[in-house]
Amino acid sequence: MGTQVKDVIIKPDAPSALLLDKHADYIAAYGSKKDDYEYTLSEYLRMSGIYWGLTVMDLMSQLPRMNRQEIIDFIKACQHDCGGISASIGHDPHLLYTLSAVQILCLYDSVDAIDVDRVVEYVKGLQQEDGSFAGDKWGEIDTRFSFCAVATLALLGKMDMINVDKAVEFVLSCMNFDGGFGCRPGSESHAGQIYCCTGFLSLTGQLHQVNADLLGWWLCERQLPSGGLNGRPEKLPDVCYSWWVLASLKIIGRIHWIDKAKLQTFILACQDEETGGFADRPGDMVDPFHTLFGVAGLSLLGDEQIKPVNPVLCMPEDVLQRIGLQPDLLS
Amino acid sequence: MAESEEEVDVLVQRVVKDIANAFKRNPNIDEIGVIPCPEARYNRSPIVLVENKLGVESWCVKFLLPYVHNKLLLYRQRKHWLDREALVDITCTLLLLNPDFTTAWNVRKELLQCGVLHPEKDLYLGQLALTKFPKSPETWIHRRWVLQQILDQFLAVGHNKNQEQQGEAEQANAERSQQLSDHLARTLHQEMRVCSDAACRYPSNYNAWSHRIWVLQHMAKGNGKVFHDELSSMRLWVSMHVSDHSGFHYRQFLLQELITEHYQTPASATINGSSQHWSSTVPSSSPHQHSCTQTNGELSGAEAASEDDGQLSFTTVLQLFQQEIELCSDLIQSFPGHETLWSHRRHVFYLWNQWKREQQHQCSSRGDNKSIHLNDSDPGMSEVSPQSYAGREESVNGQRHASEPMEVDRVSLPNPHDSKRLKRGVLLPGTLTLTSEHSFVNSILDSCCNPEQRRFAVAYKKWLDTVIGLQS
Ligand SMILES: [Zn+2]
Repeated sequence: MGTQVKDVIIKPDAPSALLLDKHADYIAAYGSKKDDYEYTLSEYLRMSGIYWGLTVMDLMSQLPRMNRQEIIDFIKACQHDCGGISASIGHDPHLLYTLSAVQILCLYDSVDAIDVDRVVEYVKGLQQEDGSFAGDKWGEIDTRFSFCAVATLALLGKMDMINVDKAVEFVLSCMNFDGGFGCRPGSESHAGQIYCCTGFLSLTGQLHQVNADLLGWWLCERQLPSGGLNGRPEKLPDVCYSWWVLASLKIIGRIHWIDKAKLQTFILACQDEETGGFADRPGDMVDPFHTLFGVAGLSLLGDEQIKPVNPVLCMPEDVLQRIGLQPDLLS
Repeated sequence: MAESEEEVDVLVQRVVKDIANAFKRNPNIDEIGVIPCPEARYNRSPIVLVENKLGVESWCVKFLLPYVHNKLLLYRQRKHWLDREALVDITCTLLLLNPDFTTAWNVRKELLQCGVLHPEKDLYLGQLALTKFPKSPETWIHRRWVLQQILDQFLAVGHNKNQEQQGEAEQANAERSQQLSDHLARTLHQEMRVCSDAACRYPSNYNAWSHRIWVLQHMAKGNGKVFHDELSSMRLWVSMHVSDHSGFHYRQFLLQELITEHYQTPASATINGSSQHWSSTVPSSSPHQHSCTQTNGELSGAEAASEDDGQLSFTTVLQLFQQEIELCSDLIQSFPGHETLWSHRRHVFYLWNQWKREQQHQCSSRGDNKSIHLNDSDPGMSEVSPQSYAGREESVNGQRHASEPMEVDRVSLPNPHDSKRLKRGVLLPGTLTLTSEHSFVNSILDSCCNPEQRRFAVAYKKWLDTVIGLQS
């Protein structure tokens, strides 16, 4: 029985400098080269895909390279009568893509392009009696959707439209003995869910309800010898989990508990020097999702070539300043 | 390949039909997959059925997926009409190739609501998709929705039954209710199998395990026997998957549910005599016995949980903890360097510590309640004080009457020796205490040179000192 730690080995020739120009070119060209098959495979999350691409471009100060009008028209076409927004045209509306769409419109300072009141009604209508949120009209419950709901409303300045106390009560009922959170009460702690729940508690002004030392401990234990972070014990390190863990640590004021230099080395090693972009792990295929979380992670670690990123909403701080939104962080 | 649009059209329609026919020909297909095959072979369908495995040749997937995808989206935008049968076939093909296409599942939900599809059919389609995509979040989400429909149907019949009914109608309803109840039990069992299968196909499969928890929470609520059987049957599985944190978390969930939902607190145990039965007939566990299907002596589900309501006795709970920590020690020693096992140990010890504190709290507050209660009812019952337990064993061996409140009340109290030991912090021999945990860690540190194992042992020690140390 092998007892090798599940981790990666970073090769000596792995990239160690940030290749910003390459990444901007990669994102700018993304989509134009894809065939029908690849496009259809991921169309169910297109709206989030656009958010990832645009946010990383904005963090690199390259947003003007993207086609603003085309994107705004696309979002308009994705809003349904119920107010919810879908991943793409002809798909069904969902909270996940409603948040992505609102985030994109905030980057472009044009939330008025959609019917904001209806979005608010849609989000409000998805809250359940126990305070939880369904992802769409079919009723699936998940703490991720609690985050999507409050993040959407916070960006629109309409947080008072829902029962915040009840919403908080539900999220806290998903807290585990290790200080972490799962998708529903009783479910295992998971870095992605922890990010959503700490972000949720930040936006609702309830971070004092977190056991920051205990949760910080669990989060720090996600760091592996390579420097990368995983999302749960004995999983491989991954750039996206590195972001979720790092952002959660930032939110609860414990970011200094991990080895930042080693994490930076890991994230930089996940770049593809030829194509641009970041992969989940060194040597894997790059994609816009990991490219955003790689760049955002480096920003949180203090890389000054990148705009400061907000750990709660994963958007540039200057955008949130413009909106006047400043989510709480523990110190 | 530069095929014309019409050619693709004809090809794809044939393939969609071939898939539908394969399911008609063999209703027992149990796995799907893509067969690597870069070129089409003349006069041969790209759909291959070998025994119970359905394969699609890879060359056709590139045509097939965009075509059915776009067709469904046109339908959704009311730009193209599809009849119900075509919708069923198209969404089936689509979801086997791309099971995270939410909207396609939603179309099936609508078909299900208007009675075109049966819930079982959709559970089956999802099960097949999971053989190739065991994590697929949307597939698990759809399953929960379908299961909720089945549950709602069940509840609706139960509600009907409560209304005044006479003669034949009543009997028909009772039969229907029995049928549904059997059906629900079968569905639950089948669901556990689907979860196990997906858990074996992908390690630490968060979606599969959190689904399994959902299923128990919604379909086995209050059924202690199911929780107990799950705990027993998972024992072997986790022993063979020592890196699977989700599998161990599931055990933690079961344990927690058993001790919080199904432990009959002495305070509440005034009518139920059955818990006594377990406290006196389940012998103390013998160490190093870890078979998952033991029926003699050890806590098999049927034995540890009583037939009627699955309530656990005080001693049974102690044994659950003891067995769990023994399992954990064995695995840590046999498979050094697994973070999952150490994390499991933390959780078990934490649960134990919390439960122990609650019992202590209840013990002390119960003393007061008891005297008040006793004074109010029958002075003779004052004999039933924790101190007068010496003759307990004798009395419980005789025939008892459940209707006798004193007797029942008395036997459901924990063994006074246990509670005394509990107060002193030393329970049964070899039971869990901070000291015993420290000596376990020290024995690992003394004997093991695996650096990972040592790192986890040191972290556990630190955790005991800080997290637990601060609590007690
Ligand atoms: Zn990732």
